[in-house]
Amino acid sequence: MLIDYSVVLVYLIVGVLFVAAGIVTAALIRPSRPNPRKNSTYESGEEPIGSPWIQFNNRFYIIALAFIIFDVELVMLFPWATAFKEIGWFAFWGMIVFAFILALGLAYDWAKGLLDWEKPNPQIPSLDELVITREQYLDELKKKEQTGN
Amino acid sequence: MYNAVVNELIGSLGLIKPELALLVTFVVVIIADLIFKNNKVNLGLSILGTIVSGIFLIGMSGTNTSAFANLIAVDPFSEFFKYLILISTLIVLVMSEFSEELHNRDVWMGEYYMLVLGMALGMFLLAGATNLIMIYLALETMSMSSYILSGYTKEIKRSSEASLKYVIFGSLSSGIMIYGMSILFGMTGSLDLYAIQSYLAANGFFQPAIFISGLMVIAGFAYKISAVPFHFWTPDVYEGSPITITAYLSVASKAAGFAVLVRFIKLTFFDAAGSSDESWIMMNSIPWDMVLAVLAVATMTLGNIVALWQSNVKRMLAYSSIAHAGYLLMGIVVMTNTGLMSILVYFFFYLLMNFGAFIVVMLFAHKIGSEEMDDYEGIGYQAPVLASLLTLFLVSLTGLPPTAGFIGKLVLFGAVLDSGWYWLAVIGVLNSVVSLYYYAKVVRNMWLRKVDNGKGTLKFSIQSQALVMVLGIPTLVFGLFFGPIMRWAEHSVRIFLGN
Repeated sequence: MLIDYSVVLVYLIVGVLFVAAGIVTAALIRPSRPNPRKNSTYESGEEPIGSPWIQFNNRFYIIALAFIIFDVELVMLFPWATAFKEIGWFAFWGMIVFAFILALGLAYDWAKGLLDWEKPNPQIPSLDELVITREQYLDELKKKEQTGN
Repeated sequence: MYNAVVNELIGSLGLIKPELALLVTFVVVIIADLIFKNNKVNLGLSILGTIVSGIFLIGMSGTNTSAFANLIAVDPFSEFFKYLILISTLIVLVMSEFSEELHNRDVWMGEYYMLVLGMALGMFLLAGATNLIMIYLALETMSMSSYILSGYTKEIKRSSEASLKYVIFGSLSSGIMIYGMSILFGMTGSLDLYAIQSYLAANGFFQPAIFISGLMVIAGFAYKISAVPFHFWTPDVYEGSPITITAYLSVASKAAGFAVLVRFIKLTFFDAAGSSDESWIMMNSIPWDMVLAVLAVATMTLGNIVALWQSNVKRMLAYSSIAHAGYLLMGIVVMTNTGLMSILVYFFFYLLMNFGAFIVVMLFAHKIGSEEMDDYEGIGYQAPVLASLLTLFLVSLTGLPPTAGFIGKLVLFGAVLDSGWYWLAVIGVLNSVVSLYYYAKVVRNMWLRKVDNGKGTLKFSIQSQALVMVLGIPTLVFGLFFGPIMRWAEHSVRIFLGN
C-alpha cells in the first residue's frame, strides 16, 4: 500500500528540482554587476526617502480580525443561499440565528470602543513655555556663566 | 432532496436543550453587558442560565440516542459528565464572586462570565461528541476560552505568561491531534467514530498507521488531562491563572478530556460485538492498554515526586492534580464496567475535594497575601474552621478514610486489582503513600507550628465559609454513604458499554 504513494514522492522531488534548477542555472549564467542605483529599494520610480521599516498602527490588526470573522460568515452564506429555496423556513430561521450571533459580536466590538480610530495626540508646547521674559533670559545667562561655558 | 436532513436536524434540536440553554445564556449575558454594564447582573444571569441548563439536563435523564446523525451522543455517560461540568461551573461562578484577585484589579468581569459559559458549552459538547470534527470543534471552543481566561488578570505578569504558554502548547497539541485525526479519516473514509470502528473491524488496516494516528489523537487528549509527557503546561498555567480558573481547569477541563478519551478509545479501537465484563478485546493486537498503563505510571510518578519539592501551595496542587490524572488513567487501562465506573466515582469526589482545597487556598491568600506553605504556619489557630476544612480536603486527596477520597481510591484500586493488573495497583498505592508527605506538610504547617505574627483571628465572610462547607460536608458524608454515587456511576457506564 505504501507503494501507491510513490507518485507523491516523484512529484515532490521533481517540484524541488524544477525550482532549484531554475535558480541555480540563473545564478551561474547571469552577469553580476551591481551598482548603487540597482541595489537601492524600489519606491515607484522616486528616490527612496527614509527607512523602509515603518511602524504601522495596530488599529489595523483589529480591523483585520473583524474582517476575518465576517469573511468566514460570508463563506457560510454561499452554500446556504444555494439550498435555501428547497429547505424553506427552517433554513431562514437558522441563518437568522447565526447572523444574529455574529451581528451581536459586531455590536459588542462597537459598543466597547474597539472600532474607534484613535488619533495620536501630539503634545504641542504652550506659548508660556516658548516665550520667556527678559529677566528669565538674563537669569539663564548668569547660570550658564557660573557653571562654566 | 434535503427533507430527510432537515427533519433529522429539527428532531435533534430537542436533544440538545442543555447546550441550547447555555448558548442562550451566553447571548443574553453579552446583550445585558452592553445594556446594563453591571457585573452583578452578569453574574446573576450566568448563574440563572446554568441552573436552567441543569433543569433541562435533569429533564433529559434516561435518553440514550445520538443527535444530528451521530454527531453527538446523548447518553447517561455524557450526562454524568455534564452534571459534573455544571456543578463545577456553578461553583466557579460563585467562587469568582469572592475572589479579590479579580475584583480588586478594576478588571471588567463581563467577558469573564461570557468566557466561562463558552467554556462550559464547549465541555458539554465534548462530553457527548462522537465525530472527529465535533471532538476537535468542542475541544477548541473549550481551549480558546480557557486560554483567555487563564490570562484574564493581564497586569500580573505571571498571568500573561501562563496564558501565552498555554496557547503555544495548546495549539501545538491541537495540531498534532488533528493530524492524527486526518490520517484516521484518510484510512477509513469517515469521520464518525462508529463508522470508523466498523470499517476497521471489517477491513484490514495498515497497522503502524493506525498506531501512530491513534497515538497522536490520544496525545491531544492527554494534553488536556495533563498526562505525562504532555503535562508541561500544567504547573505554569495553574500557578499563573487566577485561582478560580485554576480550579475550573483542574476539574472540569480534565473531566471533559477524560470523557472524550474514554469514548474515543472505546468506540474506535474495540470490536463492536463481544464487549463484556472482560479485559480488552483489542483490534489486531495493538497494545493500547500497555500504552495507557505506561502513561498512567509516568503521570502518577512524576506528579507525586515533583510535588514533593514544591513550596507554593497552588503549584503543589497543580502537580497533585497531575498525579490524580495518573490514578484516573489507571481506570481507563482496565476497560471494564467496574474500571470505567470507578473513574466516574473518583471524578465526582475529586470535584468536591479539589474545589474545596482551591477555595480555601484562595481565601487564605486574600488574608495573608501569600500562597507559600511557609506562610501557612499557625494559621490553624487563626482561622480554625477553614483550616480544619482544608485539612479534611487534603486528607481526602491523600485517600485516607473516612473521607470520600478514600472511597474513590478504594473503588479504583479494586477495579485495577480485579482485572489482574497487580503491578499497576502496587505502583498506585506506593504513589498514594508518597503523596501523603506533601499534603501533610501543609497540615503540619497549619496546626503544629505556632507562630505569633500578630494578626490574630482572621475573619472570613459567612458566604465564603458556607461555600466551603457545602463542599466539605459531602466529602465527609460520601466517605461513609457512597452507595448512591456508585449506583449512579454504574448506571451511566453500563448503558455506554452496552453500545
